Amino acid sequence: MELLDNLYIGLGVALQPMNLLFALIGCLIGTLIGVLPGIGPIATIAMLLPLTFHVEPTAGLIMLAGIFYGAQYGGSTTAILVNLPGETSSVVTCIDGHQMARQGRAGAALAIAALGSFFAGTVATMVIVLFAPPLAKIGASFGAPEYFSLMVLGLIAAVVLAHGSVLKAIAMIVLGLLLGLVGTDGNSGGTRFTFGINELTDGLDFAVMAIGVFGLGEIISNLMQPSAERSVLTQKITSLWPTRDDFRRAWPAVLRGTALGSILGILPGGGAALSSFAAYVLEKKVSKTPSQFGKGAVEGVAGPESANNAGAQTSFIPMLTLGLPGNAVMALMIGAMTIHGIQPGPQVMTERPALFWGMIASMWVGNLMLVIINLPLIGVWVQLLKLPYRFLYLCILLFCAIGVYTISNSASAVMIAAFFGVFGYMFARLECEPAPMVLGFVLGPLMEENLRKAMTVSSGDPMIFFQRPISLVLLILATVLLIIVAMPNIRSKREEAFQEG
Amino acid sequence: MSSQDGNAATASPLLGLLRRKNVLAGLFFIGVAVFGLWLSRNYSIGTATRMGTGYVPRLLLWLLLVLGGGVLVQGLRAAREDMFPQPGGILRFWPLVAVTLAMVAFGLALERLGLVIAVALLLGIGSLAERNLRLWETVAATVLLILLSWLIFILGLGLAIPLWPVW
Repeated sequence: MELLDNLYIGLGVALQPMNLLFALIGCLIGTLIGVLPGIGPIATIAMLLPLTFHVEPTAGLIMLAGIFYGAQYGGSTTAILVNLPGETSSVVTCIDGHQMARQGRAGAALAIAALGSFFAGTVATMVIVLFAPPLAKIGASFGAPEYFSLMVLGLIAAVVLAHGSVLKAIAMIVLGLLLGLVGTDGNSGGTRFTFGINELTDGLDFAVMAIGVFGLGEIISNLMQPSAERSVLTQKITSLWPTRDDFRRAWPAVLRGTALGSILGILPGGGAALSSFAAYVLEKKVSKTPSQFGKGAVEGVAGPESANNAGAQTSFIPMLTLGLPGNAVMALMIGAMTIHGIQPGPQVMTERPALFWGMIASMWVGNLMLVIINLPLIGVWVQLLKLPYRFLYLCILLFCAIGVYTISNSASAVMIAAFFGVFGYMFARLECEPAPMVLGFVLGPLMEENLRKAMTVSSGDPMIFFQRPISLVLLILATVLLIIVAMPNIRSKREEAFQEG
Repeated sequence: MSSQDGNAATASPLLGLLRRKNVLAGLFFIGVAVFGLWLSRNYSIGTATRMGTGYVPRLLLWLLLVLGGGVLVQGLRAAREDMFPQPGGILRFWPLVAVTLAMVAFGLALERLGLVIAVALLLGIGSLAERNLRLWETVAATVLLILLSWLIFILGLGLAIPLWPVW
């Protein structure tokens, strides 16, 4: 069985002491930032990118992945106990999770969330094992025109599934594509948009931009807002064990959430946040007693929490197999791979099987760790919530500053990051989502290269994109998506889905 | 700050339009596009078969210009729109200024004045961004974080950053 062989290779890599250690570190950091509102996985992964220079690529990627799915676990703790979403993906968990906590059933809510997430994580790992190889095989047969069209589809889908204005999101993608082109043009040797800054001749560094936009931008936005009252639920968590009735009601919701999350995670633009919103809406729709939602319905915790974890994990599929990032975290993962000289794409699986399968197996190992470290340690995490933001942001600021410097040991990188911090704040204020920009940034150079190759093959005839069947289908799909989202009644439905709650 | 973010009518209608988020966003995209087009005016364009340095960037810049125009029009046509909060002086933007200045100071200081002074500057200026500053707490935090960054980055990772000023 090839499948079992692959899993065997993967587990062998994931269980090496060094990799286990980094998975644990990633899970702990992920839980920590998941618990703490005001800092999310995107900013954290951006800040820790420079640190992964110093470790082996497999260990580094395992840690970064751990931060992402660990944050989904941690976010639910804060949502349930404090009624504040630790992460955007746990916004809907606040609704029923906190009500359960108020009824003295915080332990049950936390346990259902953790066990549901673990189940979802296990299934999602299997989904990756099953679907990654065939997808990579399809990807390997793609030529330049197909790749170009695939990226167009990926970017459009990311816009459609993200929230906010479609037009602004497309503009942000174009801005990202342009920023990705800064530096020396590999093809003609000319430099572009470098402003005579030496640092920029090699291109704008991905981590510098991400730390600026997400790390610094987030600090500034948070400081501008009046600090929200945090009332940590002080009553003791008596029993972690859910009742028989809880289990009976939760398990179908976990199954539905897992299925929904696994599917939505694979789509470009999908991932954790979208999955949990969709799962909540679904649970409310299928419930025989929808009136209980908002009053502590256990399904309202089980469904979304399973979905966000499944979605977080299956969003690795397009990144690992096609080199196509579906969300900002995956774009950062691609950045991390490139830093280590690994060109993301279908060849990763065949050329670096240990890294590929090791990372996947480590996700399952990490999920197991999370259940173990989370349930008994809930008390510790709750204590951390008392850490005031005025101290926390100084730590983040320091990590951003030194992190940026260490990327290339250059002071001008620190200035460039500060510059992007201003942009990050401005984007937040003008409601321009920075995530599509990051996707564009990662794909910019690749798209240009594939466009060039395709045009050289066709001697300058753009019809090549419509004559190749796969490319044509991808472009048609992209157009259909754009038309759908432009239709007014669907647009309002889309807004509704994001505002549910 | 006590100044409110309310949507109070502004004195001039033009200023009112400028406070609309989409109007500002549209103007931003247009501004970037125009600036980029000016920067890339001398980049060789080449042909579709043999694209020059400027081919793809200029294509994207024109696209950005059109999209920015679209966002601007959306902002102008909307009957009611999300408003950008009333400026209310530079004080409103104080965190933005402080965090940016802190980073710049850190960047300028690190290689010459060493890690200790650079981090002290970063955190000293950075802590001004918080409205209810508590002096002793900040000093304690700064000392702790200097120690931590020395442990992690110089001892642990062995980065070549001077600890004290280099003469």
